[in-house]
Amino acid sequence: MTGRRALAALLGVAAAAAALAAAPARAQPTEDEVKAAFIPKFARYVSWPRGAAPGPDQPFRLCVVGRDPFGRLLDQAAAAETVDGRAIQVRRMATPDAAAGCHLAYVRGQSGADTARLLVALRRRPVLTVTDARAGPQRGIIHFTVAGGRVRFFIDEAAAAERGLSISSRLLALALGVRQRRT
Amino acid sequence: MRHATLCAGTAAALLSGHPAAAEQAGPASAETAEELSGLSIEELARIPVRSASKREEPLSAAPTALFVVTGEEIEASAAHSIPEALRLAPNLQVQQVDARQYAITARGFNSLETSNKLLVLIDGRTIYSPLASSVFWELHNPPVEDIRQIEVISGPGGTLYGPNAVNGVVNILTRDARDTLGGFVRATAGGDERSLAARYGAPFGGDGAVRVYAHLFDREDVAPGIGPDLDDRFRGWQAGFRADFGGGGDHFTVQGDVFDTDVTALDALPDDGDSGHNLLARWSRQLDAGSSVEVQAYYDYFEREFLLVRDSLQTLDAEVQFNRRAGAHELVAGAGMRTTRDEFINNLNLFRLDPQSRRLWVFNLFAQDRIALSPALALTVGLKAERTSFTGVELLPNLRLAWQPGERALLWGAVSRAVRTPSRIDRQLANPPLLARGDDFVSEKLIAFEAGYRGRPSESTTLSVSVFLNLYEDIRTTEFTGDPLPIRLRNGLRGHSYGIEAWSSTQLMPWWRVSLGAATLWKDFELEPGAVDLARGDALGHDPDFQLLARSHISLADRLELNAGLRWVGDIEARSGPGIGDHVEADARLAYRLTGNLEVYVAGRNLLHRTHAESDDPQRAQLAERSIFAGTRMRF
Repeated sequence: MTGRRALAALLGVAAAAAALAAAPARAQPTEDEVKAAFIPKFARYVSWPRGAAPGPDQPFRLCVVGRDPFGRLLDQAAAAETVDGRAIQVRRMATPDAAAGCHLAYVRGQSGADTARLLVALRRRPVLTVTDARAGPQRGIIHFTVAGGRVRFFIDEAAAAERGLSISSRLLALALGVRQRRT
Repeated sequence: MRHATLCAGTAAALLSGHPAAAEQAGPASAETAEELSGLSIEELARIPVRSASKREEPLSAAPTALFVVTGEEIEASAAHSIPEALRLAPNLQVQQVDARQYAITARGFNSLETSNKLLVLIDGRTIYSPLASSVFWELHNPPVEDIRQIEVISGPGGTLYGPNAVNGVVNILTRDARDTLGGFVRATAGGDERSLAARYGAPFGGDGAVRVYAHLFDREDVAPGIGPDLDDRFRGWQAGFRADFGGGGDHFTVQGDVFDTDVTALDALPDDGDSGHNLLARWSRQLDAGSSVEVQAYYDYFEREFLLVRDSLQTLDAEVQFNRRAGAHELVAGAGMRTTRDEFINNLNLFRLDPQSRRLWVFNLFAQDRIALSPALALTVGLKAERTSFTGVELLPNLRLAWQPGERALLWGAVSRAVRTPSRIDRQLANPPLLARGDDFVSEKLIAFEAGYRGRPSESTTLSVSVFLNLYEDIRTTEFTGDPLPIRLRNGLRGHSYGIEAWSSTQLMPWWRVSLGAATLWKDFELEPGAVDLARGDALGHDPDFQLLARSHISLADRLELNAGLRWVGDIEARSGPGIGDHVEADARLAYRLTGNLEVYVAGRNLLHRTHAESDDPQRAQLAERSIFAGTRMRF
């Protein structure tokens, strides 16, 4: 008796699961889509030291160093943005050696240790580094995280200050956490 | 009975058979990218993202019946305690026994005293007690907002996870301190319960962070059920900290908790209640791209005082684990040592532990290798050798095969052996001349056969189905060994159980997710030839033969969130107790976000009935009650 009832119930679930699976997938954006939209927007809320900022006729240069998870997503997002009236040019490079002209760099190595190596090479440059890692040396000035099902980020303001970058309060206010600059 | 098995097989075939029929939905279109670019950064930060595939599923546990409850899902639900949060897992059966206590198990054997085949870990710290191999859930009250995720494995996990992982493993992980920077406060109030949790996290050093928290809770007593009125109000507090730091390939974690709870029953003594503390340190180091090593040690102490009974336990544990990935091999090997010293003083009746205080040791060595036979096929072979003070060396092998025919599906099968080593009560409870020590009580043994499917039949749906057949031997019985006294605890029962577990989650709309879950259980046990059981199969527990869960999560305009769950739990047949009928119950939480950092909500549990019975424990069962409360969560 109970066995039969359990079975009926189970079949009910099977049918329901099948029905759900067949429903049209109105997908939410993926993490990468939202990150790709974020990255070019960060440029608006950061100011670069004189000399490191793009010149009057130069484009703003956004680089992907290492592995590129975004592909066209980032090109589309960058095309939709301007920084102080300048277009954003996206460059992709395997190593940071070519990163001299970059203003903003999304850095992603093959592994955590690899990411850390890439970041070390960029350390002395006035480049706004963006990473996925939250911890340790694999962490850029802005590092993404997913909290509460949303893409959020942390900001290492101390590291930004060391490179002469200053970050607007609007962006700082949105960060989940800020490692503050030493005053 | 037999036709039920057959049909169940068909049901499984139906479930696992349909993915092929439901392929659709490509990646999000370019329009989405443009739409996203049109949003402000504040708006972007509020866009829910697809998360079903982003759960961190431990690789080692891949070919198992694994259900992951995320911290976000717990926060969205009406649960404010670990046992209530575990109701989100379809492969666990949760019985509320009274205002304080719960009985929780996977794949059967449930009841307060018989749910002794589950291994429960909080951040690597084992919390089952060697007194009766059961978990005192009331001793663990971290704020649920600190939980990152709970991995629930139904089935043996003995090789990797350690002793007592016979029917399942519950692995509770709290958030890295670097993810909980800033302040957080939660306050709830209602007719039956109130709580206040506060946390503050701050960075320290170059790369580290530390958080401290405190949690106060007060739950009113619940109405008596099958048991007598216990007047069992539950109130207490827990506080603690966690620090995460390290540079290079090193990650250090240091954490600790301290807690104290009161028993306010009419017949309670002034000191009655529970208290304890623990401290854990872990160091993991990435050696090179493919290998890592982890060392962990902890100390844990608790004492429980009720009526004229005082139970205390001191645990020291140290473990080391080594991981290496090379070529087709992924090797995990390790060793561990645990020692416990307990004391059980009973002035309430004549049952004694003999000796009253005892130090026990558990040593283990394990190795497991996952071998990629081909890109789609992987074989996992593992063996753990465990030596305990009571039983000498036990071998816990497991063999798993995983076949991944495409990106979206995994089929797996496994055979494993697990044992529940004797508890102090099994071996050393005595009440002469009535009950003599069970000196020859041996481990309860299980050989488990499992198979399952896990995958994404469509872009927006995840589905998992598993079946199991568990063969048990040497389950506890109570026998006459004299003429007729004394009686002794022996291992006279054997038998099998089998069942199906299935769950799915579907993102129906960007703002609407629906999850379904089901678990069934059939049990068939008999006495070994010549054995008798005066306890009439009590050790087998009292289990419903099915439970069904449905949950809906709606998130509107990022302001309004409605999470509601419905569960139908089958009846518990009377074996020795009176038994209880099946029940349907619901819980819900409606939250409104006033600003990005401030949320208010109303929530309720057991909404459909004023009271209902979940446990048939004749001494203790009270009723689960409807509880409605309002709350707020604030971050700053």
